[in-house]
Amino acid sequence: MAAVTERSNFGKIAWPVVAWVVALIFFFPIFWLVFTSFKTDADAVKPEHLFFFTPTLENYTNMTQNYDYWRFAINSVITSSFATLFALAVGVPCAYAMAFNPSRHTKDILMWMLSTKMLPAAAVLYPMTFLTKNFLGIFDTHFLVILVLCLINLPIAIWMLFTYFKEIPKEIIEASKMDGVTTWGEIKDILIPLAWGGVASTALLTFIFCWNEAYWTVRLTTVDAATLSKLIEGNRAPEGLFFGRLAAVSTAAVGPIVVLGWFCQKQLVQGLTFGAVK
Amino acid sequence: MSDRSIPRLLQTPAVLLLLVWMLVPLSMTLFFSFIRYALNNTRRPEWTTPDIANWRGFGNYNYVLNNKDFWFAIQNSVIIVVSILIITVIFGLAIAVLVNRSFPGRGIVRVLLISPFFVMPAVNAVLWINMILDPVLGLNGVAVAGINNIVSGLQDFPVLGAFFSLWPEFEPVSFRATQTSAYAVIMMVSWQWTPFAVLIFMTSLQSEDESQKEAATLDGASPWSQFINLTVPHLARPIAIVVMIQSIFHLSLYAEIEIVSRGNGNKNLPYLIGEFSTNNIGAASATGIFAVILANIIAIFLLRMVGKSLMD
Repeated sequence: MAAVTERSNFGKIAWPVVAWVVALIFFFPIFWLVFTSFKTDADAVKPEHLFFFTPTLENYTNMTQNYDYWRFAINSVITSSFATLFALAVGVPCAYAMAFNPSRHTKDILMWMLSTKMLPAAAVLYPMTFLTKNFLGIFDTHFLVILVLCLINLPIAIWMLFTYFKEIPKEIIEASKMDGVTTWGEIKDILIPLAWGGVASTALLTFIFCWNEAYWTVRLTTVDAATLSKLIEGNRAPEGLFFGRLAAVSTAAVGPIVVLGWFCQKQLVQGLTFGAVK
Repeated sequence: MSDRSIPRLLQTPAVLLLLVWMLVPLSMTLFFSFIRYALNNTRRPEWTTPDIANWRGFGNYNYVLNNKDFWFAIQNSVIIVVSILIITVIFGLAIAVLVNRSFPGRGIVRVLLISPFFVMPAVNAVLWINMILDPVLGLNGVAVAGINNIVSGLQDFPVLGAFFSLWPEFEPVSFRATQTSAYAVIMMVSWQWTPFAVLIFMTSLQSEDESQKEAATLDGASPWSQFINLTVPHLARPIAIVVMIQSIFHLSLYAEIEIVSRGNGNKNLPYLIGEFSTNNIGAASATGIFAVILANIIAIFLLRMVGKSLMD
């Protein structure tokens, strides 16, 4: 591009410098969280130990020994994975039908699905607790957490899948119909391989949202199905006293998902458009 | 099976699940909003269970509408969402343009920039309000104390000292206070969601028609006028999508509000509902119905904006 080559030497140096500075500012809070997690609770609040201190793993050993970190972490992995799987299992056929056999109601159905996401969770929390505790007896079970995580993320997942499937030429699907391929065969052998990037990126985003969900998972569980967000909830009070411990628990809760995000960054960058790019 | 019934059949599970998920709790909320239902009422034990005999008509709605917290919460919900949207769209655009050029280490820069989006909202709030914004123990307090130290050190210098002795002692801002807690929430949520805007804008910038830009350059258009006349119109749809997806998430903001100040001076509708539901389920449900109405008004507006071009 002409404009780039004509740019001054100053621009050539300043541009990356500005980009790096912005990136480091954005990353700083995460760095600080991890950094603080290696301080003792006492060091964490002393200005003289702001940058220089003796690093310790005490917070982490304390966390795994006394706070049962692994149970919360395993629950998070189980519930988020299954919720993502179910959301795809229900969402892919639905988005397939919407993209390749749209009726005049398709758009309204899609919009209505998204609007269910806008219902404030707080407005239906009490009825949900009441129902699951008193009638269904599924309060604090993995089943309930998986179901709820799947349902709250389903609209976004269907929306994303729909926007990818819509980009696939209809002729390909129609040609396979002529060849007598079944609907299931179309989805499995033609659609998913063609839209693989979109499906993967939907799965990834759904998994991230499930992992980070904190409203329902905190309120619909007590012990058995409690996820990492519940562990944070239990450790955040009293504020200001145990920065080291808090930082370690937080690092351990967000660490896996941030690292996963790093590895799948390319996939996410390519996929996350919600139909914004034509 | 006919050709039309298969697609319908494929949609049924998703539609049915979402319908049940929406209708069952919502109809219960609607019912509770018309009865007297208070969990801890010792004087009137009959009100502690949901019963049609405790019918209150529009009493709960009346109570909520006359509650000054309610109007404040609506106003505050809107202020928080709109501020976050403005900040994330502006910063998102600027950063997306910034990283759209190739330079050394762009891959790492992107990874660093995107990271906040993966952080759990509860951790985000805990981290910002304690370790960064706390006026005594956080970096906020440490930084202000450092500046005060430097200033008082400079006061001993000849000539310059006279100037610095006029400086006041700086006070760190406390972000848990009534007037400032909303700023803390806006700040931390914007930090988390700007990367989301960057992701979407970045993908969209890459699909921009470069030949159009080259032609504009040859015609002598400045980079700024190219940005305004070519890039911004190209980004209209991604901006609409970013606004819509974020509104969906931020209207139900809860963890951040609770962790920053327990709603002190900074309630939004979901938080107010949460407060009511510790005892007065009737009032909580009525507020919930109002929140549903507000969400629908915004939804209709937003979905129109995006829905138009969805099916092309």
